[in-house]
Amino acid sequence: MGQFIQYMINGVISGSVLALIALGIVAVFKATKVVNFAHGHLILFGAYFYFTFSVVLSEAAFMPDWIRSWDPAWLQAYAGDAAMFSPKAAIASWVSDLPRILLGLIGALAANAVLALIIERLVMRPLLGQSAFAMILSTVGLIWVLEGSAGLIWTAEAEQVPALGPNFPIRFELFDQNLFLFSGSLVNLVVALLLFASLMLVLRYTRSGVAIRATAEDQSTAYAMGINVPRVFSTAWLVASTTGAVAGAILASRNGLSPAIGLFGLSVLAVVLMGGLDSFAGVLIASMLVGILSSMAQWKLGGGVAEIVPYVAVLVVILIRPHGFMGQEEIERI
Amino acid sequence: MLSIENIEVAYHHAIQVLKGLTLSVEPGEVVALLGANGAGKTTVLKAASGLLPLENGSIDAGQILFNDSPINRVAPHELARAGLIHVREGRRIFAEMTVEDNLIAASYALTGRKEKPDYDAVYAFFPKLKERAHQTAGLLSGGEQQMLAIGRALIGQPRLILLDEPSLGLAPRMVDEIFDNIARVNQEQGASILLVEQNASAAFRIAHRGFILENGKVVLEGPVEQLRENPDIQTFYLGVGEQDDKKSFRNIKHYKRRKRWLN
Repeated sequence: MGQFIQYMINGVISGSVLALIALGIVAVFKATKVVNFAHGHLILFGAYFYFTFSVVLSEAAFMPDWIRSWDPAWLQAYAGDAAMFSPKAAIASWVSDLPRILLGLIGALAANAVLALIIERLVMRPLLGQSAFAMILSTVGLIWVLEGSAGLIWTAEAEQVPALGPNFPIRFELFDQNLFLFSGSLVNLVVALLLFASLMLVLRYTRSGVAIRATAEDQSTAYAMGINVPRVFSTAWLVASTTGAVAGAILASRNGLSPAIGLFGLSVLAVVLMGGLDSFAGVLIASMLVGILSSMAQWKLGGGVAEIVPYVAVLVVILIRPHGFMGQEEIERI
Repeated sequence: MLSIENIEVAYHHAIQVLKGLTLSVEPGEVVALLGANGAGKTTVLKAASGLLPLENGSIDAGQILFNDSPINRVAPHELARAGLIHVREGRRIFAEMTVEDNLIAASYALTGRKEKPDYDAVYAFFPKLKERAHQTAGLLSGGEQQMLAIGRALIGQPRLILLDEPSLGLAPRMVDEIFDNIARVNQEQGASILLVEQNASAAFRIAHRGFILENGKVVLEGPVEQLRENPDIQTFYLGVGEQDDKKSFRNIKHYKRRKRWLN
């Protein structure tokens, strides 16, 4: 039982990261009817940008010392002689990293936003009015453009980046079972779910959300009613690229920075199909399910099989419900 | 108000639909645009509202003026914000959104203008919409959906409404009600209306002038009273007159011969 809950927690944590990645794919699909195959590589760029700003730039010679490592007197007093790996030491080291984490996040968000706007303007906008299939295939082409240019700009070596939150083990008891998790994962979970929830709330309750939903439902009618549809498109790409940058930072700090992040992001497309391309709620459920399934498979069947199990589940779901859990039926399949 | 001068429109640069079409709508006027299927009526509206490029159509010659400024290449949302609003064929309501959200979406037509969206005015105009404000729009009846489609246009405080087949798929009694509403929109809001219709008698009931479109050209135009008297329009559009000679085969040939002037 204790093991079960433990793996359940792990599953929910990895599921939340999947959901954060899926969020970007759904946002772009809902607004533009384009399945963005290159979303994983947008995330890869987000991760590299996070690395660039938080590690490379913060260690540059012209940067003030406090960005590299903030060490005010009160922090030294707080850390005092805290033991290694104690929560106190972890928090102290996180606070001293905070300037460069923030620099990294802001930089990654901004740079990824610019990247997405360029892609939207140069690749997607000229294809407006063409078949969605043409646009989808050009995102497939983008995969190689992005992967190649990432290889040119950054080295392919795995790098370490600072985590978003303080990282120390938390031990607690639930139903008389001893459980534990890392606070860093907990921060990632909270960040991912907060972003997901706030986007859903914006869509549901704000006037801009109405414009986006209207565009999602009928582009040309929305256009004829005064909604600036091209701007809705770029907004969707902005949402995808910025949430993608956060996802990239999380992935890079969790598993190390490497080009494999792009492919991992691409594999999340399967999760999105399982949930339904145009349903945030469905995709959230699917992400959690896949996260939990793969963590359970890891526990019971071991690492190799665990990679496959969730995608077999996706396949089964798509066979039974081709439009996903909560997707709309008339949706074009890819 | 709206003046379309000699436009030629082709889809995919290959299928020519409008061949030198000219028509105009004056302020405060209801103008009916009639014609058979495929004559190009909807294309006229799409050309005027800027939707053509989305369907691979282009205006190859001629120009369209709205309030005396050329709008051939203006984007649809800019036109809506300038007061030219297109109510599309088949109503095209946002079926998954509530009635209220449909109206909120339409309020984007007021972007950049001083006016505030007046939802109460629309609900006063269509009391049925108020009752159903929080229902999903897709569950409304056909007539209510058409009311919503017109209500969405009203939110934008339009100067000119392009109205595409409001009678489509409605019961005859509903058609009368919708056309009464359209006449009221024209009189009370002072909006000009360019009305595309198959149902000629309904359109003539509220229109001031009419244009008859055949194969991408205007073949007849004039005040409605005059068009009503035209024997060809009576035969081909209103279904009255020359009733007694319908049965003879000779008269089918006559029909075809008579129809030729339209081409």
